[in-house]
Amino acid sequence: MGHPSVERRRVLAAAALGRESGVPGPDPGSGDPMTAVAGEILDVSPHLIVIETPEGTEERLVIAPWATAWHGADAAPADLPVGSMVIMRALRDGRVVERIWADTTRITGTILSISGRKDLTVELDCGPHRGHRTIVIPYRASGRLQVRHPKFEPGYLFDAIGIRRDGTGLALLPATSQPPYPARAVPPPPPAYAGLQSRISGTVTWSDMFDEEERGAAYPMLERPDTGCPDAGVSCAGLPYLALGSLLQIRNICSRRSANVPVVACGCVAGRFCDRCVECDTSPRGRIAELSPFSYVELGGDLVKGCFNAQIGLG
Amino acid sequence: MTHVLESQLPILIVLLVLGTVAKVATVRSGGEPGALSRLGPAVLVPDRMKAPVMVACAAGELVMAAGLLLTTHPIFRWGTVAFFALSTYVLLELRRRRPDAGCGCFGEVSSAPVGLRSIGRTVALTVMSVMSVWAPVTGWEAAIRPSWLMAAGVAVLLALSPEIEEMIDRVRFRAPCEQRRGPAESVVLSRLRASGTWRAHEGELASAEPYDSWRELCWRFFAFRDQDQNDVVFAVYLSGRRPAVRMAVVSAEDSGSLPEYTPVSA
Repeated sequence: MGHPSVERRRVLAAAALGRESGVPGPDPGSGDPMTAVAGEILDVSPHLIVIETPEGTEERLVIAPWATAWHGADAAPADLPVGSMVIMRALRDGRVVERIWADTTRITGTILSISGRKDLTVELDCGPHRGHRTIVIPYRASGRLQVRHPKFEPGYLFDAIGIRRDGTGLALLPATSQPPYPARAVPPPPPAYAGLQSRISGTVTWSDMFDEEERGAAYPMLERPDTGCPDAGVSCAGLPYLALGSLLQIRNICSRRSANVPVVACGCVAGRFCDRCVECDTSPRGRIAELSPFSYVELGGDLVKGCFNAQIGLG
Repeated sequence: MTHVLESQLPILIVLLVLGTVAKVATVRSGGEPGALSRLGPAVLVPDRMKAPVMVACAAGELVMAAGLLLTTHPIFRWGTVAFFALSTYVLLELRRRRPDAGCGCFGEVSSAPVGLRSIGRTVALTVMSVMSVWAPVTGWEAAIRPSWLMAAGVAVLLALSPEIEEMIDRVRFRAPCEQRRGPAESVVLSRLRASGTWRAHEGELASAEPYDSWRELCWRFFAFRDQDQNDVVFAVYLSGRRPAVRMAVVSAEDSGSLPEYTPVSA
């Protein structure tokens, strides 16, 4: 049984149950909308950035005076190299840029092997849909990463943020404190009737394994036979089962923005992380969704910080 | 004869108090955006009115329970009759307008969609309260003289309570329906094919095999095409052996929808 159109599922489910089918997109009540813009830098000056978008059109955007950039380290926007791929957070209908992330990538998966003496080469299993990935940890970043990854050995989880250079991912910053259990031994969710967790809160992260400019989420709690994903349905956050095509209402507790985001992929790897986000407060354990960079940025998340505290509902 | 009339009073009082407690607990724990549990008549009013409506309803129940317990004044007795009669109407309306919502009668335990049993229960309660109108004694006097009729009333209510099955499932699985791994798709499909809704619409379908199936929360959906290439979607509740089934026809071009509601087999 294929998935002729998962978009259609939302309409059909809403019709069968007589409820409103939600609309994907930001909640109008959550302040000035932020727009994510992506592209390749053609030219950059202190006040103006010219990019080529993935559709091939050229766009000129104003850089706000308070704008900051990240390219492996904090940088001035004007210092970004021409040719790098950027994701930007923009205000005023996407015309004024206030934050730029250049060549930023996220490396999340289970460690398969580690080799090398100074610069470490790590092979990761990024889940059944995403395959294997080989990344490099430069010597200057390895201490910092290993402090937050005490079980730096095959079978354990790895999550870092870095940059892409010449087609290779360089891990630079730890994106979380590594969970202390092997990737296959995810702790069970808390008993549902313990009465502690009346709303579903947890941490929301991002991944660059989505299509460019896609707005969507990978959600861990999907039925295995429906998705053909043998690793789905694992989470330590006590999540309800949803389907590809369901609309998640995600509320960023740190920035107080909320948006409806469709579930577009199976969050097999996200479900294995039973960690917390300490972005603005300490969140309950467990990743409740993994967003595409566009959705993440438009909800007010910072790609470099790697997560925000969130609450979910069904949109 | 007098024992007959007053026998149901204690049950009504206990139920009214339970209703108050459950509603207050739901309001106190709620308030999150887009709550996953869509409960009770509160889904029929706008968001900002939900909490006040539930609190007002809980307060009304408490006043009536106290009145029934301590006095024989007819205002409380007729008030109880009106309350349960109104509840019956509200549940019928809820089932028509929001077939996915639970009755919320006992807070979030009552999350299974409103079926004939929930409605039967409010009808039974209405009958009981009508019986109690002419009872000569107050509630507490009736409560200290239990009778077989009282036990029979309790048995009828238990038989009409879908919450009992949910409680048993909770003890067995330690998780609400939407967090449990559901039965296999083929099992749910055979439950669908055993339902009255399926038999009523089977003839319209172009193929007996669904072209898409997915699970969301406590429902599994099956999408079919009919002879005019419209989508026919069935939703089957995942808990219970003879689950609630809903269906709608959505025309192929339609991205919004004008659902066609059908009677339920619950």
